[in-house]
Amino acid sequence: MTISSKLSTDGKQIVIAIDERFDFSLHQQFRDAYSSVTTKDLTYILDLRQTQYMDSSALGMILLLKDHVQLYAGQLIISKPSDTVRKILEIAQFQRLMTIE
Amino acid sequence: MINIKNGMYLSCFLAFLIGINHLFIHHETLFLLLFFVLFILLLVIASQIHKVSLIKNEVKNAECMPEVDDELIHGVILELQQFISQEVNIIEKELERVKMLVSDAVTGISDSFKHLQGLSDEQQQMIQLLLSHSGTMEDREHTSLETFVIDSNKTLDDFVGVIINTSKQSLETMTYTDNMVVQFDSIFKLLSQVEGLASQTNLLALNAAIEAARAGEAGRGFAVVANEVRSLSVGSTELNQDIRTEINKGKEIIAKLRESVEAMASADMTSTLEAKEKMSLMMTHVEEVNTQTNASVEELSIIAPKITEAVGIGVRSLQFEDLTRQSLESIQMNISSIHEISDVLATFDKNQHIAVHQQLVKLKTTCQQVYLETRKSEDSRSVKQLNMDEGDVDLF
Repeated sequence: MTISSKLSTDGKQIVIAIDERFDFSLHQQFRDAYSSVTTKDLTYILDLRQTQYMDSSALGMILLLKDHVQLYAGQLIISKPSDTVRKILEIAQFQRLMTIE
Repeated sequence: MINIKNGMYLSCFLAFLIGINHLFIHHETLFLLLFFVLFILLLVIASQIHKVSLIKNEVKNAECMPEVDDELIHGVILELQQFISQEVNIIEKELERVKMLVSDAVTGISDSFKHLQGLSDEQQQMIQLLLSHSGTMEDREHTSLETFVIDSNKTLDDFVGVIINTSKQSLETMTYTDNMVVQFDSIFKLLSQVEGLASQTNLLALNAAIEAARAGEAGRGFAVVANEVRSLSVGSTELNQDIRTEINKGKEIIAKLRESVEAMASADMTSTLEAKEKMSLMMTHVEEVNTQTNASVEELSIIAPKITEAVGIGVRSLQFEDLTRQSLESIQMNISSIHEISDVLATFDKNQHIAVHQQLVKLKTTCQQVYLETRKSEDSRSVKQLNMDEGDVDLF
């Protein structure tokens, strides 16, 4: 599995972890990871600590996730991106849209 | 001398009279009178003798070496005159040279200062131009490097935004396409149901044909209908097959669409990342250059008037040439005074027949005249120079 999604025990957090490459080939899996989750006030944590490469489709996917999160009044946090990934996120000015930690 | 001799005779005669009086007359009053006259006479004679002896001494001294004195005076004065004339000539030549050197140097310095001032003015104008340009360019034309970089940065951001948006839209399209594929699959299910119906109809028609054959002559018409129904079911099966083929073609097209959407959605961000980094580096660089340029221009604008001021001071200082020339002229005048004296000295040798005394007297008067003249001109000169110092005269 290149994508794993896990709901925390208290049911308030969902962690979506991405592997080394975050590109178009993951779009189906990525969508499946959250599309069925309709619980309100969830915190979505996108774990990018493994990710080394990210293309524009990954950014598009994150934006779609953001739309989904907003639809269900949740919160999106991008967790521990590598320096390269962080730069790409900053170029896309994602730091204005979501929390990057 | 004759007076003394007469006096001596007279005093002898008086002494004889006193003797006669003493021997024969014995007249007291006469004796006293004669004695008194004799006494006076002797006093006068004594003083006369003293005078004569003094004159004699003087004459003796004067007559001792009169020829040698004149010659020496002439010699000394000749040497003196030659010496003074030579020195004065050298001094005059040197003075001329100094005058020329100073004048040449001052002309050169003055020209160079004027040139420097011109250049400094030009430089200042250029700096002013530069200052006004750097100040107004941004406001008027928006073409400064700084605004260009800012604009480029913004364009890049917009570009990134467009890319991400395209990706997002493509991914949404992808979702719709996936949904469409699901729809196609359900159409296939429906189609297989239709196929089942057709085969059932076919079977039904076959059964009907069998029943019609059993009925014999009466079922003949029904057999025709059953046959028609059968051929209809076969036609519908063929149609189903055709629909399946078409939808499969549609699926192939969707697969191609999926590929092109993937290409659209997956833009590599590496080049954008590099461009962005270059841009921010350039931005910093431009800011640095701007700050540096502004600082330099401001420094220059401070330095330029200082140069002008310094040049002005230099030009004013060149007035010393005028004062120096005046001093040199005064020295020349003094030299000419010495020349005059030297000329008088020169006449000593030429006019040897004129008495030394007369020549000396002439020398003395000339000296006095020259002394007075020099002193007068010196007084007036110092007054003039004092005025020059006080007045602020701009000569250049």
